[in-house]
Amino acid sequence: MINDFHYLKPASVKEALAMYAEHDDCKVICGGQSLLIVMRQGMVAPEYLLDIKGLKELNYIRFDEKDGLRIGATTTHREIEKSDVIGKRYPVLVAMEEKLASIQTRNWGTIGGNLAHADPAGDPGPVLIALKAEIKFGSSNGEKTVPLDEFFVDYFETQMEHGDLVLEVHIPTPAPKFGCAYQKFNLLDSEMGIVAAAASVTLNADGTCADARVVLGNAGPTPLRVTKIEDLLKGKKLDDKLFAEAGKIASEEAQPVADIHASEEHRRHVLGVLTKRMLKKAFEQAQKA
Amino acid sequence: MSHAKYSVINTHVHNIDGVAKVTGRATYTFDVKLPGMLHGKILRSPHPHAKIINIDTTRAMDLPGVKIVVTGKDTLGIKQGIWRRYEELCDEQVLPLEKVRYIGEPVAAVAAITEEIAEAALDLIDVEYEVLPAVYEPLEAIKKEAPTIHEGVERNVNVTRHIEWGDVDEAFEEADYIREDWFKCSGQAHMCMETRAAVSNFTPEGKLTCWASTQSAYYTQGLLAGVLGLREGDVRVLAPYVGGGFGGKFELDAAMFCSAVMSMKLFKPVKVVFTREEDFIASKRRTPMFYYVRTGVKKDGTFCARESRMFSNGGAYTGMGATALYLSGFFHSFPYKWRGYRYDGYRVYTNTLPSTSMRGFGAPQAMFCSEQQIDWICADLGLDPFEVRRKNGHTEGYEVPGQAFIASCGLEQCINEIEKWVKSKGKLPANRGIGISSCGFMSGGIFNWFDSPYSFSSAVVTINVDGTVELHVGCQDIGQGSNTTMAIIAAETLGVKVEDIRVHSGDTAHCPADLGAWGSRQTLMAGNAVKMACEDAKKQLLEFAYAEMGINIVYDLDIKDRWVHIVARPERGMKYEDLVKKALRAKDGQRIMGRGYYTPHRKGMISPAYSYMMQAVDAEIDPETGRIKIHEVMTAHDCGQPINQLGLIGQLEGAASMALGYAYLEDMPMEDGKLMNPNLVDYKVIRAPEMPEAGIIEIDTYEPEGPYGAKEAGEGLTNPTAAALGNAVYHAMGIQMKELPITPERILKALREKKEQEAQK
Repeated sequence: MINDFHYLKPASVKEALAMYAEHDDCKVICGGQSLLIVMRQGMVAPEYLLDIKGLKELNYIRFDEKDGLRIGATTTHREIEKSDVIGKRYPVLVAMEEKLASIQTRNWGTIGGNLAHADPAGDPGPVLIALKAEIKFGSSNGEKTVPLDEFFVDYFETQMEHGDLVLEVHIPTPAPKFGCAYQKFNLLDSEMGIVAAAASVTLNADGTCADARVVLGNAGPTPLRVTKIEDLLKGKKLDDKLFAEAGKIASEEAQPVADIHASEEHRRHVLGVLTKRMLKKAFEQAQKA
Repeated sequence: MSHAKYSVINTHVHNIDGVAKVTGRATYTFDVKLPGMLHGKILRSPHPHAKIINIDTTRAMDLPGVKIVVTGKDTLGIKQGIWRRYEELCDEQVLPLEKVRYIGEPVAAVAAITEEIAEAALDLIDVEYEVLPAVYEPLEAIKKEAPTIHEGVERNVNVTRHIEWGDVDEAFEEADYIREDWFKCSGQAHMCMETRAAVSNFTPEGKLTCWASTQSAYYTQGLLAGVLGLREGDVRVLAPYVGGGFGGKFELDAAMFCSAVMSMKLFKPVKVVFTREEDFIASKRRTPMFYYVRTGVKKDGTFCARESRMFSNGGAYTGMGATALYLSGFFHSFPYKWRGYRYDGYRVYTNTLPSTSMRGFGAPQAMFCSEQQIDWICADLGLDPFEVRRKNGHTEGYEVPGQAFIASCGLEQCINEIEKWVKSKGKLPANRGIGISSCGFMSGGIFNWFDSPYSFSSAVVTINVDGTVELHVGCQDIGQGSNTTMAIIAAETLGVKVEDIRVHSGDTAHCPADLGAWGSRQTLMAGNAVKMACEDAKKQLLEFAYAEMGINIVYDLDIKDRWVHIVARPERGMKYEDLVKKALRAKDGQRIMGRGYYTPHRKGMISPAYSYMMQAVDAEIDPETGRIKIHEVMTAHDCGQPINQLGLIGQLEGAASMALGYAYLEDMPMEDGKLMNPNLVDYKVIRAPEMPEAGIIEIDTYEPEGPYGAKEAGEGLTNPTAAALGNAVYHAMGIQMKELPITPERILKALREKKEQEAQK
């Protein structure tokens, strides 16, 4: 049962930041898709709820060929899924969103809320890190922009401190020969992943690997960037053997925790399979690009 | 049978309560609000097995807003059960006096002015327990050294069932090939959309009214009266709308009992609604079963004998488990002719959530074992699985020795149709397979463990002056659409339209008694009662018609689409509404009223009629991750005469989603008796995006015992699916899945073992 709380409804980002700074026992709610679950379970019982759902200032999707893609924090998953420009330039984001929970959740849940919640099983984190995204957050004392892989600190913990709101996600324009793929492993198509892997590959003009990223979902306290794989692939001509080797590294580097849905062994194994497959998929996309 | 002769039967009829439901006007128990109503909450045991030493309710009572706290001591302490004919099977005190036997068992209840206060009060009840050693698995609990769960019950064996016919040993001797396998079948939550809920209102007149989410208002009435020391007639149970039952809602539950006990002490209405978590941990479940199956066949695939032993995890109490134990063993023989058949079932108490009936009533487990083993035998001997099933299948007129008579059976056509469908798919890509499974199911049970002196089903029909019809039935609509089915049968029989019928159900004060919605019984049993009641009323109407129309008595009269006419000369007749008005005058103002009832007689031990089916599941397995993708489910189905095409499709699709969930998703893992996934994030049920196409091929048969030839359609459809998926995995990957659910990890393990075996060769 949800305990009673005071409800704060700011009219602007400025007002929101001021209200947040003012109240100590205060949680931010936007879509509520993560927060309400823990509130119902009684795990979180704040005195104040700061509702930033109505902040139109933070609801936008802007793309500029030079600057890249900027998504405001209160943009819903569904808006990202249905965005033409994202579909065209970042199809992996749309594919990821299409399998993020249910349509009802995507209609209400927001990208900022998802990232702030910092669930290592969340879908956007790994994909956005593979896309080299950075995140902007701020409080009444000022703003800060950090690479997304540094933003996540631990289970459900980010660099943000009390008073900070997520403001924007920024993704650079993809290089000419770039590919990115994401897949989660689960029993039901659109539920939270048991484990997941995102991979991106940038190719040089001669077809060798300029850059690669592999980010594992639900394989540790935060989305897990496997730099060992990046080092392995950079400068090489990619092939199935390398993808298999990368998969092996992913299995070893992952820190998954067993629960009723899968053993640790199975999680490691599947992470290896997904890494291999996603790298290959990203590579093939980059070749075609 | 020609469908053309019917005006309403076998058409697409939308649920008559559909509009009320989608517009939010349907009043479920959850929606009931009464003046002065209090809210109740239940304190539950954190221990799987413990003596209750003391319960101190003082602190809880001191909380402002709390009106009462009750424990077992405030009750009559009656050990109850739905098998009320058999005292030893009545083993459950809803609020136990001496000890708790599973995590989640109620120990006390609170009523307060708000739900929040009631919940806060639970933390203020101080219970002193003496924790006892506990046991969780039947094969452990049956051991000599296992802790005793119920005093005087040796080795924790709750019930045993023996089924045998033919000379089994001799039949095995005739076999050329014998195969033995062990299987493990999991539990499953009923997962009703509406959790258990009740609102009880006891008034100073000494009468109790209870709104309950129940599959049988009559059972609830009888059970409540029994535990409260009231006369049945002083208890009125109302269940106008019920959000699903699936076999989990015809016993007495803690919502009904605790709300009633508290209301009787306070003379105030009390409402208790289970949370989803409570529904998971404390409302019983599908019975987990261990099956040993030994089957002997001849080289040509002729079945000789089968001998099976089954150990089920009964959990802490009997519930409907005794029936599930019997039916599992009976349907394990289905749908085949065995020269010798022997089944020994043992239901064993454990310190876990009790198990009970659930859609399929023990048959899905039995079929998972049987139908997979048959495919493996076919592969071992190089036989065609369709041909073997055809060769040994039930046929019309067959008698299951000492058990059942098969008056109608479309099994062979079902097999033929599915064979055609499978062959039309051609060669499948790698890692993809189609598995088949056939089975049958009962159309209501010939069991009276409740010891009801009433007919199994009854109906009363009354015709109003304008020709509209009041139909009173005791059968319970729990979302499956039985009110619609009854309206169709009434409209067809009386010769009126579905919209002319108002169905009254779910009220023990105004509707005749009926055993309720379980065992696929209502279409056949309540349907027969409705048909009889309507025929009675129609006969009275036609008596006036003969007089009014002045026709030669050799002519037959009938009513169709509100037109009373000579059968041979349909244009000659009169309006039904006019006839009704005249009949009313002629009867001195008395309305025409018809009565009908049904109780099966001379129909064997199990059921008056049996449905048959064969199902195919088309599935693809990811060989690297073990993930299963279900492409399609196709079912050929003999339910006799379908009554409502739409209802049938709904039942088929609902059954497919539930049974697929059982096959590869749903599980109730426990650690030291504690359920590990009591929420909808961790408990996996199929949702719309995962639901595959589920087609149906209707096989036309006529069941002489059913109303208009109808048999069961819905529950039995849960039986074949787990086995069909298992067989699909077998044909795709060459691995044998002996444990449910079929998870990716189990698939990969089986693939590894297969590889190792091949490497050894």
